[in-house]
Amino acid sequence: MNLVARSAVEGFFAGLHPSPFHGFSVEYSDHREYHAGDELKFVDWKVFGRSDKLYIKQFQQETNTTAYILLDSSKSMSFAGDGGVSKMDYGSYLAAALSYLMLSQSDSTALILFAEKVKKFIPPRSKRTHLNIILTALQYNRSLGQTNLAGVLHTIAETTKRRGIVILISDLLDDEADIFKGLAHLKFLKHDIIVFHTMDHQELNLDYEGLIQFEDLESKVRMQTFPQSLREGYRKRVSEFLDNIEKTTGNSGIDYCLLDTSEPLDRALVAYLAKRKRMM
Amino acid sequence: MSFIEWIFLLGGLAVAGPLIAHLLAKPRFRRVPFTMLRFLRTGQVESRSRRKLRDLMILLLRCAIIVLIAMLFARPLLHIRYKPSGARPVYYLGLDNSMSMTYSDGDGSYFVRMADSAVDYIRSAQDDALFNICALASGDWMQGLSKGQALAEVKDLKIEPGNTNVGDFLSGLSRISRAEHYYDEVSVLVLSDFTPNTFRQFVNVAEPAAVDRIDYESIVSSQPVSNAAIADAHVVGVVEGKLTINAAVVNYGRIEQNRSLTAGTGADYSYPIEVNLSANQRKSCQVQIEVGSAGRRQSFIPVELNLSEGDGLRQDDIFYLAVSIPGREEENVILAGESTNDMFLIKTAMDTLSRTDSYDTLRIKQVLVNELEASDLDWADVVVCSAVTDRLDDLASNLENFLKAGGRFISFVTETAASGAAKQLWRRDILAALPGQYVRERTYIQPKSCESRAVGVDHIAARSLSNYRIDKILLKGYLECERHPDARLLWQLRNGCGFVYLKPHGRGTSILVNTSVDDSLGSVTKSSASVAFCRYLLGESNQLGEHCFTRNERVMLPVGDSGAAFAGYRQFWVETCDGKTRRAAVVDSFLLVPDPGGIGWVKTLGRPAIYAGVNLPPGETDMTGPDAAELDNVMSRVFATGAEKDISEAGVLREKKNRPLWKLFVWMLILLILVEPAVANRMKR
Repeated sequence: MNLVARSAVEGFFAGLHPSPFHGFSVEYSDHREYHAGDELKFVDWKVFGRSDKLYIKQFQQETNTTAYILLDSSKSMSFAGDGGVSKMDYGSYLAAALSYLMLSQSDSTALILFAEKVKKFIPPRSKRTHLNIILTALQYNRSLGQTNLAGVLHTIAETTKRRGIVILISDLLDDEADIFKGLAHLKFLKHDIIVFHTMDHQELNLDYEGLIQFEDLESKVRMQTFPQSLREGYRKRVSEFLDNIEKTTGNSGIDYCLLDTSEPLDRALVAYLAKRKRMM
Repeated sequence: MSFIEWIFLLGGLAVAGPLIAHLLAKPRFRRVPFTMLRFLRTGQVESRSRRKLRDLMILLLRCAIIVLIAMLFARPLLHIRYKPSGARPVYYLGLDNSMSMTYSDGDGSYFVRMADSAVDYIRSAQDDALFNICALASGDWMQGLSKGQALAEVKDLKIEPGNTNVGDFLSGLSRISRAEHYYDEVSVLVLSDFTPNTFRQFVNVAEPAAVDRIDYESIVSSQPVSNAAIADAHVVGVVEGKLTINAAVVNYGRIEQNRSLTAGTGADYSYPIEVNLSANQRKSCQVQIEVGSAGRRQSFIPVELNLSEGDGLRQDDIFYLAVSIPGREEENVILAGESTNDMFLIKTAMDTLSRTDSYDTLRIKQVLVNELEASDLDWADVVVCSAVTDRLDDLASNLENFLKAGGRFISFVTETAASGAAKQLWRRDILAALPGQYVRERTYIQPKSCESRAVGVDHIAARSLSNYRIDKILLKGYLECERHPDARLLWQLRNGCGFVYLKPHGRGTSILVNTSVDDSLGSVTKSSASVAFCRYLLGESNQLGEHCFTRNERVMLPVGDSGAAFAGYRQFWVETCDGKTRRAAVVDSFLLVPDPGGIGWVKTLGRPAIYAGVNLPPGETDMTGPDAAELDNVMSRVFATGAEKDISEAGVLREKKNRPLWKLFVWMLILLILVEPAVANRMKR
């Protein structure tokens, strides 16, 4: 897991990325005029002495961002359509890579594994050794139980005290309205949210042939069908579902990235960095 | 509905097959874990129901196909009950358009009067009536006509140069009226001159036709009929360049005829022969016409016999007779015997043959076979050897050349054949069969040859040999012969051994006769059949030929000596009597012309042309009308009406109409077979 995370990140992102927040730091960033209410300790007295005007010194904050990585560990995430990488494994690699990336910049990183409820919560830390804890948790994580994404999101919103970046890695197979409510709750608390919607290629296209008896991974419901006869309608409905999610998240200021497990991880990391750049 | 062969309905039990298969067969599903079942759910319900519908439809279609096949074999009949309220008038008109109807007296032609009568009859019918018109001479049916269409058809009717065929009309009437108009009111009108030919056909009708009403009119002249005709003509022969023809001239009317008969071949005409005929008299007249001496090649002369004008029907005053005059030929024959005496009998027969044949002259040279020289073969057209000797072996290569050049080599056998020479000749493909061991056993010849029209021998002579009872001639012995692979066995002995073998060599022919030329093995050449036997062996003779046909016959143009020109062609163009160019098929040595297109000349295109004459059938223009009472009697017997109709129908038809349904079933079957794969594939999606 460590190797995957490191190779994924270092292979493409050699440079540091700046923190979007301005606060306590040693690296000077900019000056601005003093406004009533600003703390006096940030006034640049040397400039005042030279120009008789009050200016506030701004510094670039480097390490005070907190990232919450939420990884869906429900049974549906164990689906691997063509016997390749399961959604769970793909999500774990992504979580590991993001953790490595953030911890290498001394960002506090938390990992929350959930299904019906939060299964494991690793609180945010910025220490380098924290990566090992996260990776171990990801390695021993098993998909189990049904999805209750909305409840989990509300729980996270209630328990996180510090605002930060919430990275949700899930297949979003839950009630859409409830999911949006949960995400809105987080957004209300000023969290920046990135949703990595992890989908298998078969889930997107339904390329099965012949007589198939589908068995739901979570509910164990069985269904006998001819996929070729349903493909057209299925794709249409899935497309509507994805469009709805993208549209709703876009309207809420939530970054949405659909990931096909048959594609490499780069896309997810590019999406994350693009988000960080926008926040600058 | 009922079934004629109901036992085949048991075949319908075969529907159990697809039924059982449908019940037992369960689809095999592959189990696959999945997550997004909620997106499948709507479509799944639709898909399963569609699958069930498809399975059911395919099952029903297949069962229906099996049942239909079983029912088709059972030959279903549909019973339709009688519905008198739906009856409508249906008219059947039998209109005589034969050549005799062109007879014209002072009141106009029979044909015009017949057409007028038919028009009046049609006009008097109801407006919704249905008309079926049959032209009695051509046998053409015009069915399901409205009143206007019927009038137009009658006006378009034309004379057909043939005789009437009442059978076509009556069989068509029975078939159509029973099949389509059984419950309609059927009326029949027959308009004809009722010549003896036509009337005889009505007399000979065995089964009466059941109709509701019968009308007929005998179209005859009110005045005595004046008509003479050339009924037939035959070639007698050619003597000193004059062609003699015997012609049969008949007075078919009641008025005495004083006419003159001439024969013409284009520009040349014979002297007219005065012909005086009393009422219904038949006379044979002989006319002669200059045709010149026979040339080297066969020629065809179209001779038109013409009776001078003077009666009411011109068409039967001309007779078309094509005469083929063979080319004069001389044949050099060498008779090679082991001794002078053993060829005596066959030489005598050939001398006789040469004298009797008008066109073939045989120049005979007799030599000893051991003195036979190559120069003799160069001179000869035919070589007849009494036995296979060593001398022939010496001349083998000369014989080969002789045969290649179109010569004819005929070999008889003796008790002791030179086996070495025979084998050598057989290996060199000269002999038609290899003579082997002598069998001293009495036997007879088969009464008929193996092939009725064998090529290479004279088949007319073969028939003569049968008539001479060649099968009664005793053979004292024979040789066991082995037929050459390319040779044909033309005549057999009664014990199955070969008697005459023939092997073609391009234009040449080799024949082996399994008997002696003298009477040592048999007495064929000693019998009265010897001349015919010589003719048989020497091949087809040249004879005068006459080529004339009646309108109803298939015209066959003899290719004759021009056969080489037709070789390799399967069809040929000929000009028919109506001046049109038609295709004729080449079969054996004849050109078959399917339709001569009237009466007159049929001839090949190009030169020299081959002619055949086409004439009216004999007696067609015999204008002797029937007795009115007799006609009434016959027509009332041929067409059963009223109570007679019921009696007639009782044995033939039932109260219900039985309509065969096999056509409907076949169409349904074809439809189902086409629909089945379409349903299977369409519903699978």
